[in-house]
Amino acid sequence: MLKKDLLELCLLQLLAGGDKYGYEVLTPLRTAFPDTQESAIYALLRGLGKSGCTQWYMAPGGGGPDRKYYKLTPAGRGRLEELRRDWRNMRDAIASFGVE
Amino acid sequence: MMKQKKPLTKVQYLKKFSRAVRWRLPPQESEEAIADYRELVFQPERDEEKLVEELGTPAQAAHLITDVKTYRRWLAVFAVLAFGLFLQTKWLWTARGVTFNGARVWWNPVLVMVIGLPLSLYWFRKHGQENGPLSKRLLITLAVVAVVGCGILCRLWQLSGVSVFDQYPGGSYGFERQVYWLNTAMMCAGVLMAFAGVTGLVLAKCRDRRWLALYILCLTVGAILGFIIFVIHAMDMTFGAPELMRTYVFSHILPVGVIGLIGTGVALC
Repeated sequence: MLKKDLLELCLLQLLAGGDKYGYEVLTPLRTAFPDTQESAIYALLRGLGKSGCTQWYMAPGGGGPDRKYYKLTPAGRGRLEELRRDWRNMRDAIASFGVE
Repeated sequence: MMKQKKPLTKVQYLKKFSRAVRWRLPPQESEEAIADYRELVFQPERDEEKLVEELGTPAQAAHLITDVKTYRRWLAVFAVLAFGLFLQTKWLWTARGVTFNGARVWWNPVLVMVIGLPLSLYWFRKHGQENGPLSKRLLITLAVVAVVGCGILCRLWQLSGVSVFDQYPGGSYGFERQVYWLNTAMMCAGVLMAFAGVTGLVLAKCRDRRWLALYILCLTVGAILGFIIFVIHAMDMTFGAPELMRTYVFSHILPVGVIGLIGTGVALC
């Protein structure tokens, strides 16, 4: 699993918890992966939209202008499951070497 | 002591990002990305000082969302179109072309137009996008290019009208001097056409596809000037019947001009 896959896993997991707007997705990911720029995460989010894993819609933001909200599609849920499986396998493989 | 670079403001960041992304991405995708970045950059929580640190430079941000295949295809098209303008200018300055299968060398600049006109129209019709009302700047620039082209053609018409020795007190020497000045004017106009043409291409990609009209008009004027320069260089100056050149040149450049104007009109629609 590459770092990109880990980022993708976290991103999909975030969206699985409910629809979110761009900044709401990018900020926690940047906090968790401080050496990754938000543009890279945005590129990932955009790529997921292109591959049909996410969809977006406009909705009123907190008092300000409309915001673009992202939501998970069934294809996105499938991809999340796939990445979760990969993550578990990798975690078990690493644990077998005694890595805590 | 090194002078510290001023951090970009939110407006500057978005402006730079918009420019980079419009150059790299197809119109619809670039507008979408700009809207997303507007939302991200202008978040009230966003610290302007840390903009580049958090988002990367505008060029990096644009690079990350670039579809490399599509971008390379655009670069290839741009290179072909810009190289055509460069070739026309080079021929205007050197008057040395390449012969294909015995074809006359003065068709070289027109051949560039035969490739550039349909290729650019096809590309921008398929991948370009209109953006707002027709720009006044575009109309003014088109008018300037047209005036430069027509001015040179008028001078050529005058020069090639009457017999050389009757028209100029200096005889053939006087005529040659006039041709020399016309030649110089055409060389300078060629450089102007090349710069304006490339500007038209860049603006057609980054702003509004109707700027392609400027490229096509410059390409047409460049082709006509190139044709004339080759003919002038091949002409025997001691031959006292320049009206023959007038008939030859104008009967050949008229269809080229008409096709170019039609192309310009199509690009404006």
